[in-house]
Amino acid sequence: MPPDAFARKRRTELGVAAVVAILVALLPIGLHDVYLQNVLILTLMYAALSQSWNILGGYCGQISLGHAIYFGIGAYASTLLYTHLGVTPWIGMLAGGALAAVIALILGYPFFRLRGHYFTIATIVVAETGLIAMINWDYAGGAQGIQIPYGPDSWLHLQFARDKLPYIYFALGFACLTWFVSWLIEDSKWGYWWRAVKDNAEAAESLGVVVFRSKMAAAALSAFFTAIGGSFYAAFVSYIDPDSVMGFQFSLLIALPAVLGGIGTLWGPALGALVLIPLTELTRSYFGGSGTGLDLIIYGLLIMVISLARPEGLTSLVALLGRKLITREPASAGSGASS
Amino acid sequence: MTAQALVQILASGLLMGLIYALIAAGLSLIFGLMDVVNFAHGEFLMLAMYATFGIVAVTALDPILATPLVVGVMFVLGAGAYLLIIRHAMRAKANIGMVQVFATFGLGITIRGLAQHFFTPDYRSIQTSWLSGHTLDLGGVFLPLPQLFGGLLSCVCFAALYVIIRRTDFGRALEATREDAGAVALVGIDRNRVFALGWGLGAALVGIAGAVMAIFYYIHPDVGSPFALIAYVTVALGGFGSIFGALAAGILVGIVEAVSATILAPSMKAIGIYAVYLVVVFVRPRGLFGNL
Amino acid sequence: MNRREIILGGASAAAILGATRAGAQQPQDVVIGALYQMSGASAQVGVDAHHAFDTALDIINKSYDLDLPLAKGEGLAGLGGAKVKIVIADHQGDPQKGRAEAERLITQGKVCCLIGSYQSAVAVTISQTAERYQVPYLSADNSSPSLHRQGLKFYFRPGAHDEMFSKAMFDFFDIQRKKGKKIDTLALFHEDTIFGTDSSNAQQKLADERGYKIVANIKYRANSPSLTAEVQQLKAADADVLMPSSYTTDAILLVKTMNELGYKPKSIMAQDAGFSEKAFYDAVGDKVIGVISRASFSLDLAAKRPSVAKVNEMFKARSGKDLNDLTSREFMGLLLLADAVDRAKSTDGEKIRAALAATDLPGERTIMPWKRVKFGPDGQNLDADPVLLQWLGDKFVTIFPDQAAVAEAKWPMNG
Repeated sequence: MPPDAFARKRRTELGVAAVVAILVALLPIGLHDVYLQNVLILTLMYAALSQSWNILGGYCGQISLGHAIYFGIGAYASTLLYTHLGVTPWIGMLAGGALAAVIALILGYPFFRLRGHYFTIATIVVAETGLIAMINWDYAGGAQGIQIPYGPDSWLHLQFARDKLPYIYFALGFACLTWFVSWLIEDSKWGYWWRAVKDNAEAAESLGVVVFRSKMAAAALSAFFTAIGGSFYAAFVSYIDPDSVMGFQFSLLIALPAVLGGIGTLWGPALGALVLIPLTELTRSYFGGSGTGLDLIIYGLLIMVISLARPEGLTSLVALLGRKLITREPASAGSGASS
Repeated sequence: MTAQALVQILASGLLMGLIYALIAAGLSLIFGLMDVVNFAHGEFLMLAMYATFGIVAVTALDPILATPLVVGVMFVLGAGAYLLIIRHAMRAKANIGMVQVFATFGLGITIRGLAQHFFTPDYRSIQTSWLSGHTLDLGGVFLPLPQLFGGLLSCVCFAALYVIIRRTDFGRALEATREDAGAVALVGIDRNRVFALGWGLGAALVGIAGAVMAIFYYIHPDVGSPFALIAYVTVALGGFGSIFGALAAGILVGIVEAVSATILAPSMKAIGIYAVYLVVVFVRPRGLFGNL
Repeated sequence: MNRREIILGGASAAAILGATRAGAQQPQDVVIGALYQMSGASAQVGVDAHHAFDTALDIINKSYDLDLPLAKGEGLAGLGGAKVKIVIADHQGDPQKGRAEAERLITQGKVCCLIGSYQSAVAVTISQTAERYQVPYLSADNSSPSLHRQGLKFYFRPGAHDEMFSKAMFDFFDIQRKKGKKIDTLALFHEDTIFGTDSSNAQQKLADERGYKIVANIKYRANSPSLTAEVQQLKAADADVLMPSSYTTDAILLVKTMNELGYKPKSIMAQDAGFSEKAFYDAVGDKVIGVISRASFSLDLAAKRPSVAKVNEMFKARSGKDLNDLTSREFMGLLLLADAVDRAKSTDGEKIRAALAATDLPGERTIMPWKRVKFGPDGQNLDADPVLLQWLGDKFVTIFPDQAAVAEAKWPMNG
């Protein structure tokens, strides 16, 4: 793509993101229903988490199904710091993020030599080990979990009794941040190396060490942001226990939006979250109460249909529409808005 | 710890390990065929158990005799799953592996929902097998007959698999299709047919495991999940693409699990298995016997 | 935005709606929200709870000649005969989802109070949400002792908690010891979630206080594929009493494995859960004749509580099983809650809370073995006497405490 068309594409992406962010920020003005606000918070949170996952999984091609461990590290780190030392969650989440990043580096070193499914299963196994360790670690609450004592509404403690707006804005900010980091990566030397490496094994050989180091950095970055998500979640729910923040279902739910939306793309995770999370919540709420498994059936079918109907992800659908629109313009350079 | 207690632990671990290996065999076969990790494998196991329960309830056959019927049902189910669903997932031009993971994940959830819908979430078990409740007492070491039967059946299945894959045309077609699907088409082998049969065979294997387990285990819609995880670790430990690796790894996992439960706190026994996996792949990145 | 609630429990809803159509000017229905796990491993509990609630609604909304609150007369007299209905939400065993559903029921569903929830972890977030919205939450079947110690005003638990249950077990041990039976060593066998942990902590503490030696304290992973090595350790310890705290799946596997390994414990004193489920006894009941479990309820109470037989009959017609420890508490919990709404003569959260706090119901007017229902300032009913039941192969008999017992305990269980 010629340089000025590329620069234009980059600016367009930034513009679209800004517009979307503003629209979402304005949503709560019309959206008063507490339940829907809750769904919005979860959607934004998963969009951010999936965007972080995508850095490692999508751009680097290292599919992790064990990201719940970083999520849990973030949740536990900030909660323990808060309940035992009174440290505000804002610092707690940075501490959790740093810890998660360090652990990602320690794990990355031996694991990045593993290919494909071996790597994925190693991540699952590590996350399960973390889960079992937390269940058996009494200082951190063990199976009984930790409850965040509630006090008055406060930004410092990131705690609000009924008001969902602060959480919405935090989650929105978080989602924007992770999107922005992905945007930066796309036009960075790491991004180029990774794309080269994904397409060409020989290039991988010659770029060897340098690529390895950048993958480690990707892992650390991905873990850092995932942990921040965990800290946020802990503050949001005010109660954590091992199963609810380190379970396998989280690892899947973090990766799923990226896959459904388009793995390795800029918009994929957000798009995927937009479709998947409301679906998950609404089927459970409106069909789950019967106990007949109807909500599971619907949820499973929808995942199957989406992943089969559009295996490249939903962004390819959007790109298709985009291309159709662009090719109607007479003076267009380049192949359109898809990447 | 007495020698007898040690032998008991190893024996129980071995028997359970053979069953893990049998569950893993189907997964390994499907993966070896087309690079698809079937995330609905646990649910296949669950369906096999329900199928056994249903056949026993309707025909009053002993579950052992019902096993061939269960195998048949599962074969059809597996082949059907491929033809109706997985085949479409493989049309993806990008990220084939991931897409199939999530397509099978969705399939698993759907099956679980259907099971809850039709069978209710209540727990069932089979009381009436002439094996159940009987135990072989070898000098203080107890070997429950259902598990013993399961272990033997597992060995027989692996032997049969070896013969099928190495000695028959179908087996060679399986190997060839994995190596190079394009070339295989030129020779006139219908890729879809091979894959469907492969899925059917994989499901049939887990069907045998389910039929055996239905004798000594409880049955309900969520019963497959813990076994599925162990199956994935087992296949990876043994090495993707190696059926024999699944057998070796299964036995290893069973024994490690039993020993870990004794050395560590039993609630942490899975860590023993996970540690073994991590150490093995660190030293041999393709698992014990993997060649993919 | 007009959100329709999907009312599940067709028969009772139809009956209630049919009854409300009968009059010309009907007062608005009172809606109570219930939160249970309706999918996944513990879904059967949720399904059973649904039947228990339907039975309670039947009694409230129609007139029955039973000595239970709200049985006589149709609907809530204090609100002009308003009918009560229930909306059930699925929390899937996840504290976050529990909170989201509680909020949805309160804000969208306009429920006046909540009942639930089986899993104690989810009860934490539900009770906190209820507190924030100033809506009472009645803990029908959560047994964790930490729940009533959160300092909440809108939390009420009519039933016993794990410490009370374990105390009953040890009181029984003390009595047996006085009679000369040998009870020196105990083996604790518990799963690793909140339930198992709370239970074993309580048992450990009581054992230390009362001079019993714990020779094995085995914490196992819930839903393990195999329990052989764990049972091996129990067999080696061969305690006088095995004390399991397990859910149904693990309980079944435990008994089958003990049988396979040739281990017959001298006695078993179970912390309910799996040991009170019909599915468990259908699967392995013949292998554990003589097992004793703590319970909140037993069928032979019918001798002392006349309404038990009729209520059980109604429940069995809907569910195909007898009332058990959980379903009896769920049934009674809903009656208590509706009774409070009736006495409050309002659906305002604070007024219902005050009515609940003022509850003083004698045990004879319930189907439970409780002395009475009177909530302390922390919301816990201290008169919620647990019972111990012994399984005789075809039914349960109450063997403890004396005022509820119908038979002498067969102790030890084996030999």
